[in-house]
Amino acid sequence: MNKKRFIGVSIGLFILGLVWTILTPMLFAAAQADIGRTAPHPGFIAPDFSLQTPQGETLSLADNRGQPSLVFLWASWCTVCKAAMPGLQSTYEDFAPLGFELFAINTTFQDSLPTAMDYYQAQGYTYPMLLDRDGAVSQDYQMRAIPTSVLVGRDGEVLDVIIGAGVSEGYLRARLNDLYPEGD
Amino acid sequence: MFPIINIGPLAIQAAGLILLISLWIGTWLSGLLSENLGTNDDVIENSILLGLIIGLLGARVGFFIQNPSVFINNPLNLVALSPSMLDTGFGLLVGLLTIYIISQNKHLPALPTLDSISPLLVVMFAGVHLANYANGNDFGLPTDLPWGVQLWGADRHPVQLYTLLLTAGFFIAFLMRTHKLKQTGFLRSGNLFLMTIAALATITVFTRAFVAQKTLVGGLDFVQVLAFLVMTGSLCAIYFRSFQNRDQVPVLISMGSNTEPAEHLSMALDKIKSAFNVQQMSGVYQTEDVKNQTSKSQYLNRIVEINTSLAFIDLVEKLKSIEKELGRQSREKSVVPIDLDVLTYNGDVFTEKGWQIPNPDLIKYRYLAQPLAEMNPGFRHPASGVSIQNIVDRIENNANVEKIDGTDNGIKE
Repeated sequence: MNKKRFIGVSIGLFILGLVWTILTPMLFAAAQADIGRTAPHPGFIAPDFSLQTPQGETLSLADNRGQPSLVFLWASWCTVCKAAMPGLQSTYEDFAPLGFELFAINTTFQDSLPTAMDYYQAQGYTYPMLLDRDGAVSQDYQMRAIPTSVLVGRDGEVLDVIIGAGVSEGYLRARLNDLYPEGD
Repeated sequence: MFPIINIGPLAIQAAGLILLISLWIGTWLSGLLSENLGTNDDVIENSILLGLIIGLLGARVGFFIQNPSVFINNPLNLVALSPSMLDTGFGLLVGLLTIYIISQNKHLPALPTLDSISPLLVVMFAGVHLANYANGNDFGLPTDLPWGVQLWGADRHPVQLYTLLLTAGFFIAFLMRTHKLKQTGFLRSGNLFLMTIAALATITVFTRAFVAQKTLVGGLDFVQVLAFLVMTGSLCAIYFRSFQNRDQVPVLISMGSNTEPAEHLSMALDKIKSAFNVQQMSGVYQTEDVKNQTSKSQYLNRIVEINTSLAFIDLVEKLKSIEKELGRQSREKSVVPIDLDVLTYNGDVFTEKGWQIPNPDLIKYRYLAQPLAEMNPGFRHPASGVSIQNIVDRIENNANVEKIDGTDNGIKE
């Protein structure tokens, strides 16, 4: 490679890169449009929902604003979900008194409601079971696999989206320990 | 957005699959390049694999160091087959440390080894951005441009694809120029790696502007500033390595003759001594013709180490002129008054005007490896880091080599 050409190209890249880096925050400022936007992805506001429990009580994500929540989409035929749920229960027992809420949204539109309710009651879970009968909430959360878990922060912002088996007791406890530094 | 592949209890996201495929393709390409450069491919691949495994374990251990209560609650969490509960930073540190320790242990030469993993870096860089596209990470700013993609509630710059396209463009443009760069000897140990880093950093500097979520430090995007510094640093490094005048560099030269060999070797040695600064030399070895063992012709060979400030190609010219002075005719293959070849040049790994350095014959024939083992028992191959003793042991060519003169064996002059 020619020395003069190399120096020319390098200096060109240096100046362009420097100008571009300095101008980037002005020309490509993080869009105002994204502030407060709703999407099931870290950094956005978690999509709100109002769903009924099998007993007919209506719960909303917004009800728990000011406290962290876990939105957990599951089905009774999903072994990975059922493997994770006992661990979620024991974590829930420790953190619910601090204000943490766990919304176990059953994907009723693709599950058998009686089977799901039998399973739920047999296990004695105490976090609320919600019914997504028409799949609208699953769609809002762009659910691509079960379980899908979304950890929501105090301001309603999405902190984590976990697809599959990653929603373990260890993960949830560690995250809640961070969110409740005084608690546990 | 790509789907998720369910295999039993494992939900493998397309993103993870893309990363695995990139790792596989990248390792394969690096293996091909490694063969070309003569680096120690087996050791490199094993250390990357081991680094990945130990890095993964380290990430889990790191997580429990940070969250001991989780571990005390349920010690089985330590070995849970779950993709969460990982401390990426700690895992990366442990993984890189593992690779570093192995490469030190196996005496892998840093620069040629880094050169040979350059394709892996490029493919992984592309793979990470494609994976980000698949799961919607590192998404772009909203845009009205016609090629914006609908993601997270807005039409956005497909910035991951910008990066992917630029990386592919760099890769193709580079492949097309490889031959020319090789001919000029520009791709000398480390330069391929530095060019790769410079290119990936440059791509990051320019595409980073379109990413929506920036980490601003002092009003500037941290990642972009880092990429800019890396780009500038690697361009400077290439400049100093390629265009600065060198001081004296050590060079190994092999001498061989099959026509009045004793006389020709000593005449050639005189000429070399008057032209260069001779550091040390081997004894004289009598060897069979390696390419034609039925021929009666016997060679005498020896190796000398010199210091020179000549550039490689000028050194080759100088050696050819000495060959000519001693009656060598380039077309004549069976009558060789004197043959002078550069074996290594400054411990560098490169190809220039068709000459491959280190000379590939060094690991093929005893007439080169054996005298070198005697003269410099601590020698390691500049590309693979294999010791000269191991090189001698691994040679399959069985042309006989016998030492006939040990008077000035290895003595420094």
